[in-house]
Formats: sequence, C-alpha cells, structure tokens
Amino acid sequence: MPPAYLKRQRRAGLLFVLPAVIYFGGVFLVPLLESVIGSFYRTVPGGATQFVGTRLYVKVLTDPTFWQAVGNTVSLLVMSVPVTVVLALAVALGLHRLRSLKARSAWAAMYFLPFSVSLVAAALVWQWIYDPVYGVLNYFLGPALAALGVPPLKWLQSLDLVRPSLALVNVWARLGFDTMIFLAALQAIPAEYYEAAAIDGAGAWPALRRITLPLLNPQIVMVAILELIFNFKVFDTVYATTQGGPAGASQTVIMLLYDTAFKYFRLGDASVMAVFVFVALLLVTLLQWRLFRRQVEY
Amino acid sequence: MRGAWTIAMAAVVAVALAAPSSWAQPKKLVFWTHWEQNPEFNKFYETRGKDFAQKSGYEVQVVTVPYQGYEAKYLAALMGKSGAPDIFMGMTHHWCGQYDFCDKMPADLAKTWDENLPKYIVNVGKWKGVRYGIPIEHGNFQQMYIDTDLFKKAGLDPDRPPKTLDAWLAAMKKLTVLDAKGEPSQVGFALRHKGHPVGITDKFLPFAHAFGARMLSPNLEKATTFANSAEMVAALQFYADLVNKHKVASIAFPTPEDAFGQKRAATIFRESWFFGWVKKNAPDVAFKVYALPCGKACPGAGNLFPWTNMVAKSSPSKQAAWDFMRFISNAKDDLDQHQAQGILPVWTANLESAYVKSRPDYQSTQEMLKQPVPPEYYHPKSNELATAFGEAVVAALYGKGQPQPLLDEAAAKMDRILKD
Repeated sequence: MPPAYLKRQRRAGLLFVLPAVIYFGGVFLVPLLESVIGSFYRTVPGGATQFVGTRLYVKVLTDPTFWQAVGNTVSLLVMSVPVTVVLALAVALGLHRLRSLKARSAWAAMYFLPFSVSLVAAALVWQWIYDPVYGVLNYFLGPALAALGVPPLKWLQSLDLVRPSLALVNVWARLGFDTMIFLAALQAIPAEYYEAAAIDGAGAWPALRRITLPLLNPQIVMVAILELIFNFKVFDTVYATTQGGPAGASQTVIMLLYDTAFKYFRLGDASVMAVFVFVALLLVTLLQWRLFRRQVEY
Repeated sequence: MRGAWTIAMAAVVAVALAAPSSWAQPKKLVFWTHWEQNPEFNKFYETRGKDFAQKSGYEVQVVTVPYQGYEAKYLAALMGKSGAPDIFMGMTHHWCGQYDFCDKMPADLAKTWDENLPKYIVNVGKWKGVRYGIPIEHGNFQQMYIDTDLFKKAGLDPDRPPKTLDAWLAAMKKLTVLDAKGEPSQVGFALRHKGHPVGITDKFLPFAHAFGARMLSPNLEKATTFANSAEMVAALQFYADLVNKHKVASIAFPTPEDAFGQKRAATIFRESWFFGWVKKNAPDVAFKVYALPCGKACPGAGNLFPWTNMVAKSSPSKQAAWDFMRFISNAKDDLDQHQAQGILPVWTANLESAYVKSRPDYQSTQEMLKQPVPPEYYHPKSNELATAFGEAVVAALYGKGQPQPLLDEAAAKMDRILKD
C-alpha cells in the first residue's frame, strides 16, 4: 500500500479515537492525577493547602478505621463476586437451553431488569424488604423463624447480617448484566463442537467442562474483573441503606473516602484512599488476568 | 421612507445587542439550603425575594439540596466557584472555619443580630469572634415530646412528665409493651441508632450532659478525660441499657421520628421543628412537649448543629446578598418565616409573641432556657470528632463492647484528630 494512503489512514484512525481519548483524559486521567497530587497535600484550617510529603500515606495506612473499611469491602466482595458469577453462569446456561426465543427473551429481560434500576432506588426498596418490623422478608420468614424459636431478623441492623444482606442486593443488581454477557458468549459457541462431542459419547457434564467453560473463559475472567471492580467501589447501596452502620460494620473504603472528603473535609486523606483503591484494583485485575485467562481454540 | 425603516430596524437590533443580559432575565441570588424538611420556611426566601426584587432588581432562587450528601455538593461548588450559591445554609465553624468560603457580615447587620438574638445563640454564626452567619433556628435544642394517648394508656399522667432520669426510666418501662417473644412492639423511647454517627452523637449528648459529662475540654483542645470520663461512661451505660437491659428502646425500629409518628414510641427528644413535622406527618398523634429530664445536671438549650445562613465570599453579588439578608432581618419577617413552618422564631422580640405563646413547647422552652447553656462543640472538625465519638455510642448500643473501653478508644482517636 502506498505510504501516503497509510499515513492518511493512521491520521483518520487517530481522529476517530480522539474524542474518546479526550473524554477519558478529562474524566478519568485528570482526576486521577489530581488525586495523586492531592494525596501529598493537606488542607489546613482556612482552606489553604500544605505540602506534607508522604505523611498522609503513613497516617491513612496505619489507621485501624481504614483497614476495617478495607476488611468490610473485601468481605462484601468475597460474598458477592463468586455468587454473582456462578449464579449468572447457571442462569445463562438455563436460558441458553430454552428453545423458545420468546421465552428466552422474556426470562432474560426479567433477569436484566434490576440492572436497569437506579441503585439508590433499588437500595431503598431493599431497605423496606429488610425492615425488621414491616419488611416482607421477615413477614414470610416469620413463621419458620418462630418455629425455630428465632426472633425476627434485624437484617441491616445486625452486626453479623448487614454485610450478607448488602451482598445479596449487589448480587441481585448485577446478576442480569453478567447473565447477558454469558448468554451472548454461549450463543457464539458453534453447535458443531457439541455435536462432535455427542458423537464421541460425551455427556452434558463433560461437554460443559471441556467445551463450554474453556470457551467462556475470556467472558468469565472479564465478568469476574468487572464484579470485583464494582464490588470494591460499592457505594450507592451502602450509602442509601446503612451509611456504613451499624457500628461501622458495613463501612466500605469508598464510603470512608466519601466521608473523609466531604464530611470531614480532609481531601488529602481521601486522595490517599483513592490512590489506594486505584492501585489495589489495578494489581488485583492484572493478577486475575494473568492467572485465569486461557487462550482456547478448537 | 425605506431608508427610515432600515435605520429604525438597525437601531432596534443595535439596542438589542447592546442591552445587558440582565434585561433579558432578572438578576438572581441563588440560595442553597438542605433543610428539606422545612419547605414553607425555604419558600419564604423566594416570596420575600420578589419584594426585594422590586427595589433591587434581584430575585431569590431557593435550591433545596438533599440533606444526605449536601456537604459534597456545597464543597464542590464553593471550591470550584462556578455554580456556587450566593447565599447558603450551613455551620459557620465548618464553612468559615475549616474553609474560607464565607464573606464577613457587614458591621451594621452584625450589630443588628447581636442585639436581637437570645443570649445562648449570640455565638452561633461567629468564627473567632467575627460574625459570618445568621442563626435561623432558635429552638435548635432537643426537648421531650410525649404521646399523651400512650401515656394515658400506660396509666401515666401526661400533664406530670418525668422530671428526673430515674423517673423517666420508670415511665419508659411502663410505656414499653413486649410481645410474646419478649421483643418490644411499642417502646417508651424512640432512640436514634441508624444513620451517620454524627447524628447518633447529637441524640446522645443530652444524656451525657444530664450526667454532667462533656465530649471535649472547654477550650475544645482535648478529648481524653472528658469523652471517657466516669460521668460519660455512666451516661453511655445508661443509654445502652435502654436498649439491651431495659428494652425500653429498640434497634429494630425505624427512624425515631417514624416510630413516634406511628405510635410505636411514646417519647422522643427532638428540636422545635419537630412540632411542625408531627402536625403535618402524624396529625393523629396527640402530644405535649416538656423540658428534658435532669440527672446530675439539667440539659439546657444547646446543640451540635448550629445552622446559619452565610454569604459566599466568591459570590459576584455579595453586596446584593447582604442587602437581601438585611431586608429580611427584622422581627416581623423572623416571625412570619418561622410561623409558616411551625419553628420557633429567633428574635428575642418574638419569644413572647402570641404565636410562640400558643405553641405546645412554650413553657418547656422557657424552662430549658433557664438552665445553664450545656457544653458546645463548635469546632471546625466537629463532624469528624462527633463521628469518632458516635462510633463508640453505636457500638455500645449494639453490644459490641463495654462503654469504658469504647470511650477510651474514641477519646484517643478524637485527640489524634484534634492534634492533626
């Protein structure tokens, strides 16, 4: 190809991605850089800022409240991510087996619906579902609990139950999105693979293990990473329901970051937390990508 | 003739182009408030803004920012300056102390307010002796609201409220109804256990003050020996026992206001705005208001949230903003605005008005005002300090630990915050 043509193509390509680059730079990169810079400054009374080097890093990273928030976040993540991924995969496999396109679409839409609802609105609805006195959950569970001699459960007001309860909301909210990704990927697997396996005498389980799961690997890794990021950054549901309570039992890193920045007006400390979240997510994502991604070709 | 038309049209176009943008739309003073529970009170600024517009050309536009997260919006706007309000509601020690967002009040207006405020709120709105803010709520201290029907049902006389904490606890026990499983279906006291720890601290402080405790040293420089004093430990033990031992308050119940409005709680401690709230949201609840019960001390008129109106330093219309504030700084407007919402007015001249005298909290307010002013904590870091303290309170309520170690830990944390 003539060099002039290639040059024009390259220029056109650059121009096409330029709006996205500008958007990404303005919305993500600049704030990220601001956060990194801000993490070396503290705001002093009167509103001025003062360069303090790595002092805020030492302060935040030795603060037990911060590590409690990290612990809460990780615990929420451990409860939500595997359940969401496995459940979404199971639902997608079930939907994929439906022969009627109408039925499949209807079911898929139902699963997807929660994803389209505002998280804050959903959280408020769930707050009512979980209400110990008026909640529909205790209403239905009441007789069973009473038979076991257990008092009505205080879902969001219990130190032990608050995180599993919030994890359930996250699973509910994210299940549809993950299911859609898996379903699309399942539909892209050629039917011939399964036919060949069937001729070789493979049953459903070996087909799932040897064909479906390996071919879904890129999607599984991607969904797991997305879920990890979503759950690490979870804020809306916690903010709308518990505000980190009771007694800090559901305070996540992002909740603490928000309070630190906007309630306590410590922008430097909050920037340190933002940098921590960024680095932690980056490392975990890279690690996950490296460990679990398999290139499968048939 | 055609030439004259052309000249006339050109003149019209030229005038239209040269005209200031203010001709096209009236000039506006943007007023931010997060008092979402008081819409009539907020509307007053717009109503009077229309009168103000006739002499100044400035109208007032009120923007009600949801309370949850208002700090984030205020901070972003005031830091960014673009889109910031001209006038905003908040706490002076935060916005003028921690940050430098406030314009100093003109001396004549400051004098007007200093001369017309009840003594206990003269310092509200000041930072380091300089007045920035106008206090907007006189009854911004908790009093005891009782449900008279539930009192009668429990065999208690609603006209003879408990005056001491011991008598109060005894009454709360009579007012609590337990179900077959021993869980309260109706409680004596609507206790705040949910939400941000700052609010939880606020609701606990009257108990702490009744026990003779204080959260910080008088100069607001130290927490240890104050936040974890023997008196504070006793107060927190008493408070936690309401839930865990006596079961006269419940953490299973929703927000305390709802519990009171739904007749699931017989008493609540809240500020003067609650009178208007109950009237509007729970009109079938018959209630009376009394001074808070006393322990070693009687909790007087004090608060953790001294709300004021301030003018933004960055406002291009700050002169007009102060003129508007001056315009409504008089006894009549004060009475009209507060009466519209059912809140106690601020001006001393209005404290004996027919409206105030007709309120169910008139006597109790007088009684509360007679008590010494309880400790105040108007520190730029008050939110962070109250959070550290509130975490100990809520942990005790949820049985996560004993008051002494929880308060020791809180006091140490508060000292770190104060030193930082």
